[in-house]
Amino acid sequence: MKARGWLLLVLGALLVTPWLLPDYALEVAIQALILALFATAFNLVFAETGLLSFGHAAFFGAGAYTTALLLQRAGWPYLLTLPAAVVVAGLLALVIGFFSVRTSRIYFTMLTLAFAQLVWAVVHKWYSFTGGDNGITGLHPGALWGDARALYYLALVLFALGLAFVWRLHHAPFGYALRAIRDNQARAEAVGLSPFGYLLAAFTLSGALAGAAGFLQVAWQRSAFPDFLYWTKSAEAIIAAILGGAEAIFGPALGSLVFVELGAFVQSRTEHWPLVLGLVLLALVLFLPQGLAGLGGRRARD
Amino acid sequence: MLEINRVRKSFYGFLALDDVSLSVAPGSFHALVGPNGAGKTTLFNVVVGRYTPDSGEVKLAGRRITGWPTHRVVRSGLGISFQRAQAFLSMSVLENLTLAVLAQAGRTRAGMRPLASYDDARQRARQLLEWVGLAGRAREAAEALPLGDLKRVDIAMALAGDLQLLLLDEPLAGLSRRERREMVRFIEELLRGLGLTLLFTEHDTEAVLRLADRITVLHQGRVLAEGAPDEIKNDARVIEAFLGEADVAG
Repeated sequence: MKARGWLLLVLGALLVTPWLLPDYALEVAIQALILALFATAFNLVFAETGLLSFGHAAFFGAGAYTTALLLQRAGWPYLLTLPAAVVVAGLLALVIGFFSVRTSRIYFTMLTLAFAQLVWAVVHKWYSFTGGDNGITGLHPGALWGDARALYYLALVLFALGLAFVWRLHHAPFGYALRAIRDNQARAEAVGLSPFGYLLAAFTLSGALAGAAGFLQVAWQRSAFPDFLYWTKSAEAIIAAILGGAEAIFGPALGSLVFVELGAFVQSRTEHWPLVLGLVLLALVLFLPQGLAGLGGRRARD
Repeated sequence: MLEINRVRKSFYGFLALDDVSLSVAPGSFHALVGPNGAGKTTLFNVVVGRYTPDSGEVKLAGRRITGWPTHRVVRSGLGISFQRAQAFLSMSVLENLTLAVLAQAGRTRAGMRPLASYDDARQRARQLLEWVGLAGRAREAAEALPLGDLKRVDIAMALAGDLQLLLLDEPLAGLSRRERREMVRFIEELLRGLGLTLLFTEHDTEAVLRLADRITVLHQGRVLAEGAPDEIKNDARVIEAFLGEADVAG
C-alpha cells in the first residue's frame, strides 16, 4: 500500500509537471524522460543478465534515423514511425546480439562498443542517405511539433509503458531465467535453460526499447545526428543506470532525472560539467555503490 | 536407461576416455568410481553435453543424445546435480525450485505473468522442497543457506523435471560427517522411494558400497571393472590397481 501510494504521488507529479514548468524547464524534463526510457532499456540487459553493453547508442540512433528518414523521405506521420523505429532498432540489436551475447563480460562490452562505432561510422559518412555528419535537420511534420506539452506526455506514456514492460519481464519466468543465467550459467543450463536464446531475446527487446527513445529524441531536436550513435550516448545510459542504481527497477530513470537536471543546472553556471559529473560519480561509487536508489533500502528492485 | 557406447575423448593428444562403455539399467543405482584423473568428470561432461566425444555415442531412454547441448539433454529427462552445490543466489529457495520446474517443462520463454502466479509449478516446487526436507525454508534467500541445505536445493532442482535418469556428481563432497550420513539416508529413502534411475560418482567407499546396485570402475580413462558391489570389492584387478590407495573406490 505504501509503495502504491508513492507511485500514485510520483505519477500525479509527473502529470501536472508540464503545467507548472516554464518552457526551458519543460524541455529539460522531456530530455530527462527520453534518457529515462533509454537507460531503462539499457538496464534490462545490464541488471537482468549482468552484461554491460557499451553499444546501446546504435539502437537509440537506429530508432532516431528510422523516424527521421521516414519523415524526410517518405512523409510518414510522426507517430506512425514509432513501430518502424522499434522494429529497426530491434533487428539491429538481434544482429549485433547474435555475435555478442555468446561472449562474456569484457569481450561482450568491447564487441558491442565496436559494433556500435561501426554503425556510427557508416551513418557519419553516408552523406547520400543519412546526411553524413550534417545529420537530418529541419523536420517539420505534424501538430505535435510545436507543442512541448504534447511531446512531454508522449514521452511520459512511452517511458511508463517501457518501465511497466521491464517490470513485468522482471517478475515473469523470463526475467527469472535471465537472472538464473546471470547467477550461475552452468546451473541454468542444467535446469534446461539455453543461455544464448535468452540473452539474445533480452538484448533484442532492450535494443527495440532503446529505439523508442531514439524516436522521441527526433521530435525533441527536430533532427537526427550521428552523435546519437556515438559511444558517449551509450555512456549516458550507463551513467544514468549507475547514478540511480541499476539494481532498482526505477533506478535508471531516477539517475536520468538527476543526470539531465543537474547537467542543465551546472551547465548554466559553468562550463566544467564533466568535472562536476566526475566528482558526483566518484562520490557515488565510493559512498553509495547501489546508486541513489540504494538510499531507499534493499527491496527497491521489487 | 542410459547407454554409453565406446566413447572416446581426448584433449590435446591426451586420451581422457578410451573406449568407455557403460549401461545403466532402469531403476538401478549405478556408481562410477575411480581415482582422480580416471575420467569420471570427463564422462560426466560427455553425458550432460558439455563435451562432444571424438567417437562413440550416448543414448538416454533409447534416444541418441550425443553432442546435444546441456539444456536439451536436461529437457529430455536428465536431472543433474553438481559436485559443488549450485543454486541461483539472487532468488529465494522457492523461486529457485519454481523456476527449475518451469524451465524443465519449457515454460519460461513466453508469457508475462509473474512467476508467483504459476500455482501448479509452485505447488510442485513445494513438494520437491518437502522431499528434500526444506519445506520450512522456502521463503529464505538461497544465498543465506548453509552448504548442506544448498546441496539439497541443488538435488531438488535436479528432480524438478520428468526424469529418466538422475546424475549426481559426488553428492557427499564438502559435507560434514553428520550431513554425509543424512545425505546417504536421503538418497536411499527418497530416491529409491521414487523409483529413480541413478548414476553417481563418489569418493566415499562406504557410501558407494551401501548405495550402489552396480559399480563401474574407471582407471586411466578405461573401464577397469564392472559388477555388483561384492564382486568389485573382491576383484583382483581392482585391488591391484588400487593397491596403496586407502580405499577401493578411491
